[in-house]
Amino acid sequence: MIGRIRTQTSEASKLIVDWMEHRTGIVTMLEHFLYEPVPKRGAWIYTLGSAVLGLISLQFLTGILLLFYYVPTTTEAWNSVYYIMNDAVFGQLIRGLHYWSANFLMAAIGLHMAQVFFSGGYKAPRELNWLVGVILLLLVVGLSFTGYLLRWDQDGFWASVVGIKIGSYSPFVGSYITHFLLGGDVIGPATLSRFFAIHVWLLPATIAPFIGIHLYLLRRHGVFGSDFEYTERLTKLHEQQRLEEYAGYELDEDGQSDRE
Amino acid sequence: MITGAILTIPPVAFILTPIIKTDVLGDSDVSEQWVKVGHLSEIPKDEPKDFTIQFPITQSYGSKGIQKESGVSNSDYTVRNAVWMSWRSPTGKAQESEPPSFAESLKAGDSISQSQSKEAEKKLNVLSSSCAHLGCPVRWLITEGEGEFLCPCHGGLYDSNGDYVGGPPPRGMYRYTYEVRQDGNVYVKHEFNIKPGIPGISTQQPYVI
Repeated sequence: MIGRIRTQTSEASKLIVDWMEHRTGIVTMLEHFLYEPVPKRGAWIYTLGSAVLGLISLQFLTGILLLFYYVPTTTEAWNSVYYIMNDAVFGQLIRGLHYWSANFLMAAIGLHMAQVFFSGGYKAPRELNWLVGVILLLLVVGLSFTGYLLRWDQDGFWASVVGIKIGSYSPFVGSYITHFLLGGDVIGPATLSRFFAIHVWLLPATIAPFIGIHLYLLRRHGVFGSDFEYTERLTKLHEQQRLEEYAGYELDEDGQSDRE
Repeated sequence: MITGAILTIPPVAFILTPIIKTDVLGDSDVSEQWVKVGHLSEIPKDEPKDFTIQFPITQSYGSKGIQKESGVSNSDYTVRNAVWMSWRSPTGKAQESEPPSFAESLKAGDSISQSQSKEAEKKLNVLSSSCAHLGCPVRWLITEGEGEFLCPCHGGLYDSNGDYVGGPPPRGMYRYTYEVRQDGNVYVKHEFNIKPGIPGISTQQPYVI
């Protein structure tokens, strides 16, 4: 009896999968997205990029949840955050995740960039992916900056005043940047509204396609560090060292003055 | 070309409204009225004292007209500023400040004559607490008997007249436009001793206060 049900379900699910595959090609697509050969050497260090992606996904998810209770007005912002932290069920967990994953995100990005930099992963043909990564870094910095003010407490308020005033020192456009961010000429309700808009819609909507491009370029060229590429670079390096060594010998033969 | 302009200009101008209003039209969110800070008798002889004042602002939905229109107004929108007042000191040391001769005998609520208010205006420092570096609020700190204004953020230092002593600020503290009236109180406007900029062309400071 149980055996029959089992075969029936597996047949039915096979049918559904085949049906979907036939119409959308989703199975081949998933295989293509999920299975990627990564270098054996130092495999753990290649998970840093995934860690960043994971943390950003967490930011999106917890951010959407926080929006259910957060109110972006000067009179209610702090109160609504207080409500989330004290009265909302699991509010502390959700906001804690948003807060701490934002902090760890910056650290993970730093480590990820350091790994790419020191392994030379930004070299041809992956230069553009480095550039896209830098754009992503700047967008995340913008998100951290605008998110800080939304708490509307003393910390976030003065940190934003300092940040906005740093912008005011820009040559020629200082006052434009300041007034754009402030939404007027003093910090007030308009400032909170636009920081909210930038934090919740503008930057997330900008960062999403760039993450897409980043992943597409990663898949196009593969992770740097495959045995083939690695040995090729090592050979090149050794070749160059040998040539330099020979050049040194030749100099010695010509430059007799060195010896005597 | 025209389609492009129709598609881009309205949204860009929409989000740049504050720049158009402040930099191009020269409007301000802060009302131009005089705000009372405090009575001359409250200013101590040997150190600055801080006062909190509020300027009404009409920023975005906080605008008075809009609140009147909707009938919904759960708060008066203001920008809170702290003002430091001290008597001018020729050496910059608070202990050596020179208050006007009548200040000693002045009691709270006392009126003063016109010549006395003129004298007080000359001898008064009315300083914004906003640091000239990046806008954090400065506080008066007494170390080794002397005192100075210290900014908690990056360590900007000013003497009791608000003049630059050390640290990253590019100048001394901002001074309010002020007047001493015959009721013995000091009044300020949301204006500071800065080089006026040309709206839309040159820049001016402070931007954040």
